[in-house]
Amino acid sequence: MIFLVFILTIVLYAVAAIAFFFRLLGRSQTLERLAFGSLGLAVVANIVFVVCDYFANDNLLMSHINGTLATASMLISLGYLLQMRRHRLPVLGTFVVPIALLFLLGAGLPSQGHRIPEGIGSALIKLHIIFSTLGVVLFTLAFAAAVAYLIQETLLRSRQISGVFQRLPALDLLDTAGFRFVTVGFPLFTIGIILGSITSLRIGAGLFNFSASQGFALLAWLCFAFILLTRAIAGWRGRRAALGTVMGFLCAVATLLGYLLRNAGGW
Amino acid sequence: MPAECVVIGLSHRTAPVELRERLAVEGDLIALELRRIVEAAQLQECVLISTCNRVEVVAVSQNPTATFEAVASHLNGRLTPDRVEPYLYRLRGERATRHLFRVASGLEAMVLGEPQILGQVKEAYGYARALGTVGSLLSRCFERAFTVAKRVRTETDIAAGQVSVSSIACQLAEKIFGELQDRRVLLVGAGEMSELAAGTMKAHGARLYIVNRNTEHAEKLAQKFDGISRPFESLPDEIREADVVISSTASPGFVVSYNLMQNVIKERKRRPLFFIDIAVPRDVDPRVDSLDNVFLYNIDDLDKVAASNLELRKREIQAAEAIVDEAVIQFEKWRNTLELTPTIVALKAYVSAIVLEEKRKTFSRLSLLNADDQKKLDAMCDAIVNKLLHIPFSQLKRSGANGDEAQLIEATQRLFQLAIGDAFDDRTKPTEAEELAAKREKGIDDG
Repeated sequence: MIFLVFILTIVLYAVAAIAFFFRLLGRSQTLERLAFGSLGLAVVANIVFVVCDYFANDNLLMSHINGTLATASMLISLGYLLQMRRHRLPVLGTFVVPIALLFLLGAGLPSQGHRIPEGIGSALIKLHIIFSTLGVVLFTLAFAAAVAYLIQETLLRSRQISGVFQRLPALDLLDTAGFRFVTVGFPLFTIGIILGSITSLRIGAGLFNFSASQGFALLAWLCFAFILLTRAIAGWRGRRAALGTVMGFLCAVATLLGYLLRNAGGW
Repeated sequence: MPAECVVIGLSHRTAPVELRERLAVEGDLIALELRRIVEAAQLQECVLISTCNRVEVVAVSQNPTATFEAVASHLNGRLTPDRVEPYLYRLRGERATRHLFRVASGLEAMVLGEPQILGQVKEAYGYARALGTVGSLLSRCFERAFTVAKRVRTETDIAAGQVSVSSIACQLAEKIFGELQDRRVLLVGAGEMSELAAGTMKAHGARLYIVNRNTEHAEKLAQKFDGISRPFESLPDEIREADVVISSTASPGFVVSYNLMQNVIKERKRRPLFFIDIAVPRDVDPRVDSLDNVFLYNIDDLDKVAASNLELRKREIQAAEAIVDEAVIQFEKWRNTLELTPTIVALKAYVSAIVLEEKRKTFSRLSLLNADDQKKLDAMCDAIVNKLLHIPFSQLKRSGANGDEAQLIEATQRLFQLAIGDAFDDRTKPTEAEELAAKREKGIDDG
């Protein structure tokens, strides 16, 4: 049953991703309806999958990295649909939905069953995971806005102002939306990092004795901190901010990938 | 002879501007001219489309040749001593409908896909409605034309991308800043080109600031667009505050240098800035385009965009034509039923009247009939009428597709001596038709 729901969710995300992609290339309203329709169904299927996973894993939400990825996938899609109310940037779906799909595919990788240890620090670890995941969800939306910005800016500078250029939103809108996502995501991610560090100390791993995954998490945090700081001090925005966002997001993904591979027995 | 749509007129494709400008009328004068044409050509339904690129009379006529002659004669009267005939096109029936749909969709416009024409056609239609020169046929025809125009604009790229320099500049600015409402636009120089661009920006809600070496010109332009003029020496300060800079001075060298912009961009805290350099020689150092969040388009860039957009529009002609074709077929189908309807109504009324009369005579002789029996006989009579007329009606309705519609209608009318007069023009008046048939019936009886 869980497997069937998982496959169905994958298929729906794939349909939505393809529809969003071709919607960016063409002007078909039907494709947009298909994209949003299949994404809506994918989110429902994703929720069902996360709930099934919850019961199948001793009632522990995000008890392992695979479950965390499935939940992140769901939150990313929900976050995208929510941003439509405020920012109305349907085009972000072209970049957000494939990431949600990849996260869900990651959730389907084999697991060696590393779980959150019970007892000392388990509550802190759970909070660490929840806050970090929420941060990553918002960074994903910021990443989508940054990629759209970079494409749009490149098209504008190269004087290719028909087709995709017409369908992408204004640079200022993308820049503002990306900045807002980072501004909200950064404190959440910071809390996640702090809680993770405290847990490390409590289980006696030491503050500076961290793995590659934790190193990437720190790099991601530094990237986003740098973006916010330079924007406030020197007014860095536009291309520089977009590139920083892309780098920060890739570091965050590398963190998750590290945990995923370790759990799958790769590391 | 059935009434049909006709178009007579001239456009940028057939007549020079010197001629068009003598015939074109604007605003309320359209209504005045329309009234004159209606009187001169004795038309019931007529719309006058008058723009700088076309003057066209769209009318409904039962005698197109006479209508063409009357309208041409009226136009000649306005052109004396010149003659209008060599520049006129005369279209009727399906060709006239197709032409109107194409005009409304921008397929006949000087700049392909130009949206302005739709508004002008709607305005012309509005004047005609107010004057009462729009009947059922023209009303349907124009409403259909507006629907076609909307479909063409939304379903094809015929109107995608701007094709005038000022519109492109405005569109690009919107792609950088989103809305231009309250954005600060700085005009450097007060030339004709920057005036055009300023007008477009102002229409989008931008605030205009003007710097020019000639203060008088700057003041004049500022007054025209409700802007603010500033001394030329304040250029760096004004650039620091601006969102869009449109430069079109006659300066032989760069007015905005790379070094100046390096400093200004820092002071602006890297807020985006869009330069539109429409001066020749150029006013803005091209290296400025490499600065972060500074975008520079010169006149060549804008021209290339215009050409590429026009090319894109041309590629969409086929798709737009397909939409027009579909609409023309639908409209002609509807028009055919309009021609058929009076004949069908008259025939039905004729037969029904005969049956009614015979029924009345028979019932008066059968005194033993009760109400139930009468009902049964009524139903039988109705069934006979319906079955009798089923095949003729089917054949008449099918005749449109077979192309022999006019002959069949005429034959039917002659066989049954159906007088299709004004009473049948309005399809909602079958009672009058019945009366007509009943009178005929009475005549036969009397005879």
